[in-house]
Order: sequence, then structure tokens, then C-alpha cells
Amino acid sequence: MALENPLLPYIATITKVIDETPDVKTFQMVFDDPEVFEVFKQKPGQVAQISIFGVGEATISITSSPTRTGMLEFSIKKVGRLTSVIHQMGPGMKVGIRGPYGNHFPYDMMKGKDLLFIGGGIGLAPLRSLIDFVLAPENRQDYGKVEILYGARSAADLCFKYDLFDNWPKKPGTKVYVTIDRPEEGWDGHVGFVPAYLEEINPNPENKVTITCGPPIMIKFVLQALEKMGYSEDQVVTTLELKMKCGIGKCGRCNIGSKFVCVDGPVFTLRELKKLPPEF
Amino acid sequence: MRKGYISKDKLMPWLGAIREKFPLIAPVQEDGLSLFKEVEKVEDIVLDYGITRMPPKDLFFPQTEKMFRIKNKNNMAIELETPEKITDELVLFGVHSCDLKSILALDPVFTTRFPDRYYQERRDKTYVIGLSCTKALPTCFCTAYGINPTDAEGADIHLTELGDKYLVEVATDRGERLIAEVPGVVFEDVATLEAEKEKLTQKVRGEITSVDLTGVKEVLDENFELPLWEKWAQKCLGCGICTYVCPTCHCFDINDFNRGDGVGERFRCWDSCMFSDFTRMAGGHNPRPTKKERVRNRFMHKLKYHLDRYNLVGCVGCGRCVQRCPENIDIRAIISDIKGGV
Repeated sequence: MALENPLLPYIATITKVIDETPDVKTFQMVFDDPEVFEVFKQKPGQVAQISIFGVGEATISITSSPTRTGMLEFSIKKVGRLTSVIHQMGPGMKVGIRGPYGNHFPYDMMKGKDLLFIGGGIGLAPLRSLIDFVLAPENRQDYGKVEILYGARSAADLCFKYDLFDNWPKKPGTKVYVTIDRPEEGWDGHVGFVPAYLEEINPNPENKVTITCGPPIMIKFVLQALEKMGYSEDQVVTTLELKMKCGIGKCGRCNIGSKFVCVDGPVFTLRELKKLPPEF
Repeated sequence: MRKGYISKDKLMPWLGAIREKFPLIAPVQEDGLSLFKEVEKVEDIVLDYGITRMPPKDLFFPQTEKMFRIKNKNNMAIELETPEKITDELVLFGVHSCDLKSILALDPVFTTRFPDRYYQERRDKTYVIGLSCTKALPTCFCTAYGINPTDAEGADIHLTELGDKYLVEVATDRGERLIAEVPGVVFEDVATLEAEKEKLTQKVRGEITSVDLTGVKEVLDENFELPLWEKWAQKCLGCGICTYVCPTCHCFDINDFNRGDGVGERFRCWDSCMFSDFTRMAGGHNPRPTKKERVRNRFMHKLKYHLDRYNLVGCVGCGRCVQRCPENIDIRAIISDIKGGV
């Protein structure tokens, strides 16, 4: 049922909408045909095409960990036509989902290692799929210490506040660092950009893998900072965001050199990234 | 490969017999243009065309294609209706060697890894009959890519006009099936015709602009930045015609059409990497913001990326982009610039 027509979406229903920030909402969705869950089987870091029928499709990273079964979560920032429409939608409404697409975070390679997540803004959405995967009881013993460094423009712009302040810090062997770009009233946490905070924390690269996602400018400076701290190219994992339409390597839109981000990415190590032309 | 011949005066009756059994797509003349179209009368078929205005790719990958019909009741109930499976076989006749090769270059895009049902079904149902070139145009340069103007590669059956006969090469099992279905080819010794074909090949090859690709891939492998991209980008209008007439370009867009009463459809249509918004994202970030990046992307795709990805040529030297570019941007001159290290 999955492969007969990969361009045909499965129908799904929105079951819950969580307001994250003024322009980000998390949508929980279930497939109308429960058997679809049996074939969908996403891995952390993969993306899907979300359809609003009559409007179109957009590529959205899957926010929920595959360890949470029976539903999918997508955290969507209102930036364009389709995302503005979905922000008007609520529980009970129907959407389309096709996927999962792309490669995934190399969670097997990460086994036995400490993990440092570095996210900015909506860039925490794809990281969250891996964070929750790693912190899930059935996988936790496979990984070492987990550190999460996350920043947003303001306190109101922090996504997943319930995870950042309640959920993740309480998990054993986990530390969460949160920063906002500029000082504001009522905020007694860290202030400053993510790359600068990273240099301040100066995490030891030994036996560690870092996983980064955020705006292109943040990624650029984070990668520079990590190299300066002595992280090797294989210890640095990031995800790229490019415009994608078909998701299956045919429409020709998301190529970087001879790679298509929708099938060869979105996850790349810094070593792989350096082999690509700088068009992202 | 089984070989035989068909007399010139028997060709049209043979095509007529095919037309009786299958829809027949062939080059015809319309408003002064040669185009691949479904023919009503075989007499309309043009056998001595130079190159058709558009390549035959739209037979498998139409310019606009309905993917499914949507019935949407206020986003509370959705019904999707996909088009019926294509069951009828059809025949595509008269494809020159460059275009044959271009179909082979498109196949892995659409048929490997997430096979594209829409393309695959049409491809599976189509018998392809090739036709050797008997003369070259000034814009032809297929030999640069190792293609001969009389190559049968990519055809199920291939025809070459030689005097009062056509040499018929049956290249695939699918071709054999069509021959069994529509007899008319005489299978006997064709050594003389083969010798004549060799002479024709040499003659037409001699007419084709010689382009030497030696070292081009290597230069592009090593250099992403070259001054020539800026130079050619300054000429480019960004009109996209090169991508539309290109037999190997496969970019498309996907859109929903909404009638307003909840009924609509999702369709895909050809798109072009030469357009400024092709890679622009909803947030405004555009990884190929100027014509320089877009021109470079297209020619890198033709000369490097497709080879890297599929080990198949991304350009077949058909010359359509050279003919149609309003600014005379000529991929052969770009190749020469690359070789010169400009």
C-alpha cells in the first residue's frame, strides 16, 4: 500500500493542537487508516509532506519520536501560504501525509557516545524526534550524557517549553541550556546567541556527537565554533533545509550538487557537508 | 538484435497496420513545426524532419498532469480519486537517436527508488520505434556524448532509411512482441543494408559539429566557482525555454487546483531551475538567489550532476536549447569555455 503511488498522501486527522510560540504550533495527527502506521515507520530526523487539500503541500520535519507510537507530531512555523492555512485548523480536521522521506540521524553511530544537541528557533523540531528517541527508557542505556543547548529570539519564541523546563531536565544524565537573543523583563536565564553560548559552555569533544539544527546563519557559526573547539568532521551532524516538492528525488528542486536533500539528506555530517557545493 | 528490412512503399501500410491496433504517436507537421502527436492518418507523418520542436518526453512526463481528484468537505471529510491505471499500449514512432538516449537518461529518475507510477505506467505501455537521422542540423552535437545519429539504443525497433528500403533492427523483446503483432518486416540477410548504414553513419557524423568533452567533467569536479558562470548569466534572461525544450530536464512543481466548492485536483507541471523562485523557501531564504547560481546549476546538471548521480549523460546533444535560446547561449560555447578554463 505504501509504494504503489508515492505521490498519493494518506488521509490523517488532527487530534490536538499545542500553541508553542506566537507563530509555532504543534499538530498531533493520526492516520485515518491505522494500518498506515505499520508501513509509515519513520526514523528520527525524517520529514513528511503535509497536504492541505486544495491548498498544496509543504515539507515538514517529523517532531515526534518513533518511540511514541500511534500518532505523529509536526511543529509548524507560520511562514508561508500553506503554514498560514494549517495554523487556522483544529482538531477533527483532515490533512494528508506522505512520507517518511529522507535519511535520518545516525543514531546507531551515536551509540555509546555523549550527545550534544544545539538548536535554534524552530530548528528544535527535528532535534526533538531524536532527543525523545534517545531519552526513551528502551534506548536510554545506549547513550551517554545528553546535553541540549537551545536558543530563540525571546522567551515567548522558545518552542517545547514543557520539554525544556519540565520534561528533559528531570531525566537522568541530562542537562538543558536555554538562551534568548536579547535581555527582557522577567527572564533570569542566559542571554546571547547560541554560538556564543556554546563557546562559553565549551563542551569537551571527547566521545561526543553534536547534532545541530537552526537557521542557516546559526548553523554556520555553530559549525565554526565546534571546529574551533576541536570537534572532528564526523562528530558534527546537522540537517539542511531546502525547498522540496516531491520528496522522492524527482522534481529537481532540492539538489545541492548531485545530491537531493529529500532523499540523500536532510541529515549530513560536517564531513559530508564539506564535499557539497555551498548552495544551502 | 534481429535485423530485417521493409521496402519504402511498404512502410506506410505497416505504420497503418500499427495505427489500426494502437494509438500511434509520430512526428507531424503543424503550423510549420514538427511535433510528436497522435496521428489520425499515417500520411501525416513526417519522416525527414530535422529535430522536433519539443522532445518526446511529454509522452511519459506530460507538461501538466493530473495526479488525483480531491473532494474536500471543509477539511472534515476528504476523498481522493486517482486516475485510472493506463492499460492501453501505444506506439511512439520516429524518434531520433539523441531523443532515444534521453529517454534512457530520464528512466532512472522516475523508475528507481520510489517509482513514479504516472511515468512508469506510460513507459511500460509504450513501444518505441527509432529512426536514424539522414542529415544533421548545424545545432546537432550528439557525437560529443558518444551517441551516433543512427544508434538504436533506447529503441524497441529501429529504422534506417537506405535507398528504397528501411533497415529494421529489432532491439528488444518488446520490439519482437510488436513485430509479432504487426507483421510486415522481411527477415533475411541484410549485410548490404548494414554496410550502407555504416556509410550513412559516417556521412551524418561528418555533418555534426564536433565537440570534445575531454576534461570537462574533471574541471567541473574540481571547480564550483568559474568566471564563465557570471559571464553567461549576464546574457541569460531566465526565461526557462532551455529547460522546457530539453529532453532530459525533469523538474516539476506540484500544485492544487481548487474550484471553490470543495472539488479540485492536484496536478504537477513542468518547472524550471532557471526561475528565480524555484528554490526560494517560504521564509525567504534562497540558496540560488541570482542568475549566476541558476545558470551554473543547469549546466552543471547537464555536464556533471546527472553523470554523478546516474552515470548517464544529462545532455544528449539534440541542440534544442541552442536553437531556442533568445540570447544565443550555446552549451557548446560553454563547454569550450570550461575547457579553456575561463
